[in-house]
Amino acid sequence: MSQMSIAEALRQAIREEMRRDERVFCIGEDIGVTGGFGGAFTVTLGLSDEFGHERILDTPISELGLTGMAVGAAIGGMRPIADVQYSDFLFLALDQLANEAAKMTYMSGGTLKVPMVMRAPVGATARGAQHAQSMEAFLSHIPGLKVVAPATAYDAKGLLKSAIRDDNPVIVFEHKLLYGSKGPRTERGALSPVGEVPDEDYLVPIGKGIIRREGKDVTIIGKLLTMYRALAAAEELAKEGIDAEVIDPRTLVPLDKELILESVRKTGRLVIVEEDNLTGGWAGEVAAIVAEQAFYWLDAPIRRVSAPDTPAPFAPVMEQFYVPSVERVVQAVKALF
Amino acid sequence: MTIAQSRPVSALATAEQLAMYRKMLLLRRFEERCNFLFMQGRIPSTLHLYIGEEAVATGVCANLTNSDYVTSTHRPHGHALAKGVTPRSIMAELFAKSTGCCKGKGGSMHVGDMSVGMLPAIAIVGGGIPVAGGLALAAKMLKTKAVAVSFFGDGAANEGAFHEALNMAAIWDLPALFVCENNLYAASTPIATAFKIQDIALRASSYGMPGEIVDGNDVLAVHEAAGRAIARARSGAGPTLLECKTYRQVGHSRSDPRTYRSRDEEAEWALLDPIQRLGARLIADGEASEGSLAEIEKSVIAEIDDAVEFAEVSPSPDPADALLDVFYEEA
Amino acid sequence: MSPDGPHGPSASNTRKIMSIDVLVPPLGQTVDTVTFVTWYKREGDTVKPGEPLFAIETDKATLDVESPAGGILRGITAQAGDAVKALSVIATITGPKEELVPKPATAGSSRVQETARNIHSAPVSPPPAQRIFISPRARGLAEREGASISELRGTGPEGAIVERDVRAYLAEHARRAISPVARRLAGESGLDWERLTGTGPRGQITREDVESAIGARNAVVEPATPLPRKPAEEGVAPLENRILETIPVAGIRAVIAERMLRSAKGTAPVTLTCEVDAGALVALRASLSADGIPVTYNDLLLRVLARALQEHSRLNASLDGDKISVWARVDIGLAVDTERGLLVPVVRDVGTKGLAELAAETRSLAERARAGTLAPDELRAGTFTLTNLGMYGIDAFTPIINLPECAILGVGRIASRPAYVDGKLEERKMAWLSLTFDHRLVDGGPAARFFQRVVQLIEKPHLLLT
Repeated sequence: MSQMSIAEALRQAIREEMRRDERVFCIGEDIGVTGGFGGAFTVTLGLSDEFGHERILDTPISELGLTGMAVGAAIGGMRPIADVQYSDFLFLALDQLANEAAKMTYMSGGTLKVPMVMRAPVGATARGAQHAQSMEAFLSHIPGLKVVAPATAYDAKGLLKSAIRDDNPVIVFEHKLLYGSKGPRTERGALSPVGEVPDEDYLVPIGKGIIRREGKDVTIIGKLLTMYRALAAAEELAKEGIDAEVIDPRTLVPLDKELILESVRKTGRLVIVEEDNLTGGWAGEVAAIVAEQAFYWLDAPIRRVSAPDTPAPFAPVMEQFYVPSVERVVQAVKALF
Repeated sequence: MTIAQSRPVSALATAEQLAMYRKMLLLRRFEERCNFLFMQGRIPSTLHLYIGEEAVATGVCANLTNSDYVTSTHRPHGHALAKGVTPRSIMAELFAKSTGCCKGKGGSMHVGDMSVGMLPAIAIVGGGIPVAGGLALAAKMLKTKAVAVSFFGDGAANEGAFHEALNMAAIWDLPALFVCENNLYAASTPIATAFKIQDIALRASSYGMPGEIVDGNDVLAVHEAAGRAIARARSGAGPTLLECKTYRQVGHSRSDPRTYRSRDEEAEWALLDPIQRLGARLIADGEASEGSLAEIEKSVIAEIDDAVEFAEVSPSPDPADALLDVFYEEA
Repeated sequence: MSPDGPHGPSASNTRKIMSIDVLVPPLGQTVDTVTFVTWYKREGDTVKPGEPLFAIETDKATLDVESPAGGILRGITAQAGDAVKALSVIATITGPKEELVPKPATAGSSRVQETARNIHSAPVSPPPAQRIFISPRARGLAEREGASISELRGTGPEGAIVERDVRAYLAEHARRAISPVARRLAGESGLDWERLTGTGPRGQITREDVESAIGARNAVVEPATPLPRKPAEEGVAPLENRILETIPVAGIRAVIAERMLRSAKGTAPVTLTCEVDAGALVALRASLSADGIPVTYNDLLLRVLARALQEHSRLNASLDGDKISVWARVDIGLAVDTERGLLVPVVRDVGTKGLAELAAETRSLAERARAGTLAPDELRAGTFTLTNLGMYGIDAFTPIINLPECAILGVGRIASRPAYVDGKLEERKMAWLSLTFDHRLVDGGPAARFFQRVVQLIEKPHLLLT
């Protein structure tokens, strides 16, 4: 058992899988350069020392091209872990993710597989709108892709390993403020949760959410950064006699619907918190599922706490307004009583 | 209109030449039959026919084995047949039957069969080029000695994916061959309005890889040039951009009246028909006769008749099959 | 508002004013304020003199207060939970077409003034129909528990009715489960009314229910633990008992409860009983077992029933709306007692199966019933049911028809009993059979003839071979 940050846990997952299976390799920008960052957020730091530059493969700035390479390499028998430095850049790669990776298994009648992983960091961090996008909704909407979002070190290692071993394309969303990256890549205002991570091989299954805090009065669902917002809000609400149940879905596609529905049947109230623009966000999908399948257990309308429908602003005071705060979650919950 | 010089071709055994003749004829008659069936309303597909370009697919693929990969485009029937996908499985796919190469899930623009190394075709223009790069990367990493060939048209050479993929293939010396079928039009857009240069092969030097131009209607020339590039790739020396000058004798798709080009131009290119050229050469060299070519014709027609019959009697898929194969599962 | 009010003298001069105040009664020297519990009538209702009008609660007891007059109840000011003072006015009873007129203010009676302010100056009519905002969860709870949605008050977001409002209403109206008169009667007699079944509207326990319960109790020997009696001076304290176990009426339990009730209430059951000589059956079973074919009595009874039902097909029938379906095939359900409750897996086409086959099938069904692995289709669509309580030492009983079937055969234990055979007293293996049939579908005659045949086949199983 070790105490690890999420960046360390991800690195450990990659290291273990690359040792375990020669077909696993990393492909991305600035990931293996000797003396470099180890990727934008240090996740691949030091790996090229162990595995060399052919398995920690640096590419030119060619997101579309490197993603297509990953698709082809996966079809050709390898198990690539591709990454983009900011999830915003996934838009450049979207043809290869949406038209090729997601559809090749289907269009071939199930005769070929695309066992690749694409890792992407999300979240606003005072870098401006083009380095802040949450992409979960876009990618979750593409049939043929699996999408995970680990928010703890334990889940980061376990889910990334599961993603690498999955025979399908898996998008792994990580949050910039949760990495716990150190040194020159330290993020100001980071949460950097550190957790216990077993040293041995273990997997967190794709498709299973988890209850972070049990409660009976309201269900709050949060992912990545907003899972921590939800937990903090639950602490505040407890002081006012409201006992909140906090769910971390961990996997967005396929979603652990039964976990959510069971919780709502118990509590009768649901608030979904996400750091993404309100309209068309993932929270809306969850709300629709619950409204369809647990309507008669609801004691109050479903509420979403999201970022407003704007690009992410730069100024820290505006960014704090933009990203859902603990206070907004608390107020949203209280309005349901 | 200019045609680049054909290089002198090394002698190829008669049997192999006849095989290529038969293959081109198969491609031609297959596409003609598809056209006929479509006009009769017997297949639901849209169609992008390969008529006129047979020498490119045939000449390149004659150098490949089942372990080598081919990626293709929205116009894939020729590549698929040349790579060894059976006429039955392609025809059944066009007929939307469950016995089709993609079980009815893909359609005309996605035919393929991994067991013969033909990736189900990618209809996004340029989309297959980086994927071919990735297949080549995998071959290199797994040390299989396989080569990945990417077929694409002149239009794709302007997609970002083309540039990114060729650049990376060159940096890493990937065992790839990029075959640009320059048929002078991207849908209805003539190359003169899409390129400042005349020859797409020139772009190879931007990435530091060799570029070569070949008469795309001379199957022996294509076979020779592709053979060298494939050997080079297999040896680990890296990729090549091979530009095949050819002509699409029919419209872009089935609903194209081709009013963007002249009938004179079409007539000129018809004289350079690759099948007629090889047939004439074979007869001139005494390696075939009108009679033996007619036999080949009959055999090809019989094969296509068989494919059509197979497709017609094959069962339709269960509509609920639409829900299957979103994710891969071990059988 | 001045005493004259908007209606002034001119409006009231033309009518004789008949309104009577409804007051909180004085309850003794020491009690000044009591808690208002509930109204038994609503604003605008017609009330009769002497009928229970409202209930109040002191720290010692809950009391019903009767109406002081007949007329229309108006001007209600007290609500459940309010603290009200003795002798304060909480409503008015007026004549049918009266309007309320505020009383002249009495010096020093601030409560009266307050009441006067609250009295409507116009005839009270129900508010126009408004949309009721109630959460789905609350609505579901209200419907299941019989709470009237229109009587609920919402405390949820934007005034919506939410779950806690329904729960509060139900708690408050739990007292409605028994009529005030019955409650008083029960309290005086020391009867635990909470365990009675009510025959009044919505299952309310009526005075008659209490009276008959008291009668029944008095006719029976006092139970070992007498009901707690309260001293006459004090009010009725709640009867507290510790709950040993709470079993939710859910899953199988709920299904059984619903079906039993539906059968008990929806059929016209008649039970015929008959004692049968099971000697031949016992011998047959022993013979089969000796020859390597172990069968249970149920297996043998299934064969008997199949034959008898084929011959008396009116008993192999179901009622479906306004028609009786007489079935071609005999599918008999076999009642199995499991940990989770009573299950009735069905043996299909009994008439075509030999004993060995039946034995294997019933064994398998029983095992799977106990393991909980029966398929839904195995638990439905039978044409007759067999239920055997012999293993528990039961003789005769009144089995409940397994709807929508026509009849059910209950089997008691096989016991050695004295019986006359050809005029001589012998020890014989006897058993009681209880056949309940639905008189809507078939009459006593045909049912009895079927029963006779069953008895005959049991006593002479060799007839099965004919």
